[in-house]
Amino acid sequence: MAQRLACLQGWGILTPVVLTEVAAQAKPQSKRARGSALGPALAVPGIIWLLLFFLAPLYVVLAIVFGRTDPIFRTAVPVWNPLQWNPSQVNYVLSRIVGDNGIFGPALLRTAIYVLLAGLLCLLLAFPVAYYVARLSGRWKGLLLAALIAPFWISYMMRMLAWVNLLQDDGLVNRLFSLGGFFDVRTHWLTGQPVVVVLGLVYGYVAYMILPLYAGLDRLPQSTLEAARDLGASRFASFWRVTLPMCRPTIVAAVLLTCLPMLGDYFTSDMLSASPKTAMVGNLINDSVQSPGQTGQAGALVMLVLLVAVVPMFYYVRVTARGDAAS
Amino acid sequence: MAVPNRPSPSRRQFLLRAALLAGGTPALMAFLDACAKGDQGSSSAVSMKVAAPDKPVTWDIAKDNEPIADGLGPEKAATLQLYTYADYVSPDAIKSFQDKYGTTVQVSTFNDTDEAITKIRAGSVDYDVFFPSYDQIGKLVNGSLLRPLNHSYIPNIKNVWPVFTNPFYDQQWRYTTPYTVYTTGIGWNNTVVPADIGALANPYESLWDPAYKNKTAVIDDWHTAMSMVLLKLGITDVNTSSAADLKMVGEQLTALVAATSPKVTITMYTDVPTGQIGLTQMWSGDIINAQNYLPEGATAEVLRYWFPTDGKGLVDNDLMVILRGGKNPVLSHMFINHMLETESAKQNFKQIGYQPPQVSMSPDSLVADGFVAENLKTAIVRPEYYDVGYRILELEPDNDAAWHNVWRAFKAGGS
Amino acid sequence: MRGPVAWWNDPWRPPRILVAVTFGYLAWSLIPVLIAVIFSFNDGRSRTVWQGFSTRWYFGDPVKSVWHDAALHTALLQTLKLGVITTLITVPLGVMFAIGIDRWRGRLPAGANLLMLVSFVLPEVLLAVALLFVVTSLPLPIKLGTEAQVLGLVTFQIAYPAVLVRARLATIGTQYEEAAMDLGASPLAALRRVTLPMLLPAIFASTVLVFADVIDDFVLVRYLSGNSSTEPVSVKIYNTARAAPTPALNALATLLLFAALLAITVGYLVYRRMTRGDNTAAGGIAAFAGEA
Repeated sequence: MAQRLACLQGWGILTPVVLTEVAAQAKPQSKRARGSALGPALAVPGIIWLLLFFLAPLYVVLAIVFGRTDPIFRTAVPVWNPLQWNPSQVNYVLSRIVGDNGIFGPALLRTAIYVLLAGLLCLLLAFPVAYYVARLSGRWKGLLLAALIAPFWISYMMRMLAWVNLLQDDGLVNRLFSLGGFFDVRTHWLTGQPVVVVLGLVYGYVAYMILPLYAGLDRLPQSTLEAARDLGASRFASFWRVTLPMCRPTIVAAVLLTCLPMLGDYFTSDMLSASPKTAMVGNLINDSVQSPGQTGQAGALVMLVLLVAVVPMFYYVRVTARGDAAS
Repeated sequence: MAVPNRPSPSRRQFLLRAALLAGGTPALMAFLDACAKGDQGSSSAVSMKVAAPDKPVTWDIAKDNEPIADGLGPEKAATLQLYTYADYVSPDAIKSFQDKYGTTVQVSTFNDTDEAITKIRAGSVDYDVFFPSYDQIGKLVNGSLLRPLNHSYIPNIKNVWPVFTNPFYDQQWRYTTPYTVYTTGIGWNNTVVPADIGALANPYESLWDPAYKNKTAVIDDWHTAMSMVLLKLGITDVNTSSAADLKMVGEQLTALVAATSPKVTITMYTDVPTGQIGLTQMWSGDIINAQNYLPEGATAEVLRYWFPTDGKGLVDNDLMVILRGGKNPVLSHMFINHMLETESAKQNFKQIGYQPPQVSMSPDSLVADGFVAENLKTAIVRPEYYDVGYRILELEPDNDAAWHNVWRAFKAGGS
Repeated sequence: MRGPVAWWNDPWRPPRILVAVTFGYLAWSLIPVLIAVIFSFNDGRSRTVWQGFSTRWYFGDPVKSVWHDAALHTALLQTLKLGVITTLITVPLGVMFAIGIDRWRGRLPAGANLLMLVSFVLPEVLLAVALLFVVTSLPLPIKLGTEAQVLGLVTFQIAYPAVLVRARLATIGTQYEEAAMDLGASPLAALRRVTLPMLLPAIFASTVLVFADVIDDFVLVRYLSGNSSTEPVSVKIYNTARAAPTPALNALATLLLFAALLAITVGYLVYRRMTRGDNTAAGGIAAFAGEA
């Protein structure tokens, strides 16, 4: 009970602090635009929500990563005061990335390779499709776009489950390859094949790449492209030297938008290949989080992925901000 | 569109922000300290008792955790919450319980016991009946997570093998009743793996045989899988704390991945009958349950199971316990009693494949009554196995950590 | 409609390879789903071998069909519940956030914008683990279950309406609102009577898209679920896929698919009606998806 009161008192202290800072920010502009108190007022609930449920939980993760472990049950005990933080769990994870003890290294490397491969394949698949639908499909554009958006409405789990069925030893894929009895193809697709996992990632995430590419390609000025052809460039040359450079920001944004979420994927490997051979960093996190004594290490891996992803994330934000400013 | 304005901070703003930061940080620290849950490590004064067949344990009943009173009626309009493995409690047995007591039953599932205990200990759930194995009993009792049983509600204990009224892990059955008994051996599908694995000198070694590449699996449970590796190496102490032994296990697991690339799963009972998995470490209940999942046109003839005939392999049993966080203690007792009844036990056996330790169900009668096919007789659990078999016991925290580290290295895909 | 020979010889047609890739992709993308839907009508228990047509998995089978199996329709209800609650919270919050950030210059709003965009691309498992730690370590009145799931989902989805509305605001520009204020309206009134109606298509589009995204969510809801009554369809499918799936699962997913299709179709038709004559909202489905 006393704890609860202390907690509420804490809220009582913090809220004025936040609001003071917000007000301090808002003041200098009040003379600039009319009625700009409306802007801050509208944005504040959203800002508070993001601070509370997005930024603050990251601090809790740090408290657990640098915290202790209960000696008997080996559950994680968070330590809130940074002065008492204990870096042993982080050291444990970091020391096991390379070298003799490098048990996490292969999984991290594998994740990087799978994500890069899958991203590349997604791009090779998504770009032609987006280009065709955006520029060349004429009267079929609406229908094709609806078909492209369709995967978003269908349960992702169901799509993966459908693939598990197709890839079973006696499933449709093997039957197709057997060409109705000419060959006897019984490839074991579902036992730790990296190819299957990469293709599974492509299947799951390519739809997220097609839409932004479509949007960007849709906005390209047709006149510029026609000018290139008029001036004598072949189809391929005009594509390579005019179209591609113009949509580079779009491509970068689309690749980042697709590949960053892929870093945390664990269920694709789980469902399509229940084998340690294709374990990704998401599997490492998922296996450790509720395992006694390993929760802090899971948190350390979470922080690691966050750090590795933060640079591309900021780059993505800059690209889109510049894109916003240019439009 | 206008470029966002970025005024450089005036001195006043700067001082204000510095003051806020200086004042806010200690406040934040104090606030979080006050808000954090009470010290969960306070039980460090209690050292854990670890039960073993030669060191039986009688658990204490704390003053604030007395069993419920006698003669209470079942809770009204309640939903009994079960927490168990998937497909581990038969829908028919649940239905008959619902009809008998006019209540609803809800089943939540977990994939492994570590995850289950973490969730229960976090305290956010209200499950009533939990189905662990006895290698978790120390943690459960010491963490005050269990409710002691009132034996007057469970007269059907007389249907069960007598040893379970005073098992080594819970003398005087203060907290537990048995649920199923099982062995852990090797199962295979005869059409995919025609060889007689049971006739080999060391059947466990077949999982390392490159001839069976991409057709094998091991059970996704750290203690079960690693114990099998120990038995393959001829080490019978399946709860060893020797660092050298654990190192060998790690190396063997790496060799396993290189040799046959096994799946790591608990779906053997659906994958072996269809041939998706050819040869695997398997629980005896799973191979019996596999009879229910045969594809059209296949018979139980294709299923095979091996367990050492002298009983010197992994034998265990699962338990039913009542969780303290549950809201329906009386119904929980009645459910346990219901599952120990012979009729429900038979219904359960038919649908989940795991053998209940019922006195009236002798191993020979199981084949005669049609529960188990003739070629799966090796999967029947005999009471004699428990005298010589190897049990998976609870480990001391440090040893537990060492085992988990080896398992995690394996699951991370090694090198 | 010309014949295929004429199409093949047409010098103005798009490159054949692009057409092939597009239709190949669509087939690869949608055929597994079609197969899953077809097998939901299978007569037997198999999900790979066709054994005849029947609706037993929908309502026929007295134990395992979606109609009769309490676990399955609890999952369906939980999915719809999460979808509705999350959308009701996310859309107003996100819209207000977008409008507010748009009207407010300075470093704090730029930082908030950055935070929002980062939450857009963050791998979901990071947020799920962080929130799991929060719920299990701090004595908040929130327990694992629907409340925690809603919190996580709103945080994850808030970027969606924010981004869509900001894009739309950029297209509209400030001239209408300034004209209204020149004519004497207060800022709030100008917002309410001029800007909001013009934003309605984007708001509606983001509502429908957030709803479709939430009912499909997996990682967050799985980590933050309590007991099985708070497990939505996606988690149910995942759990059952690793045990013994029956076509009832296909039936469940098909029902959800139709629910989502219905929501999107209704949404699109309403959107078409709302933007009749509004030439800043031209672009059909593309604008609806927020991509114009």
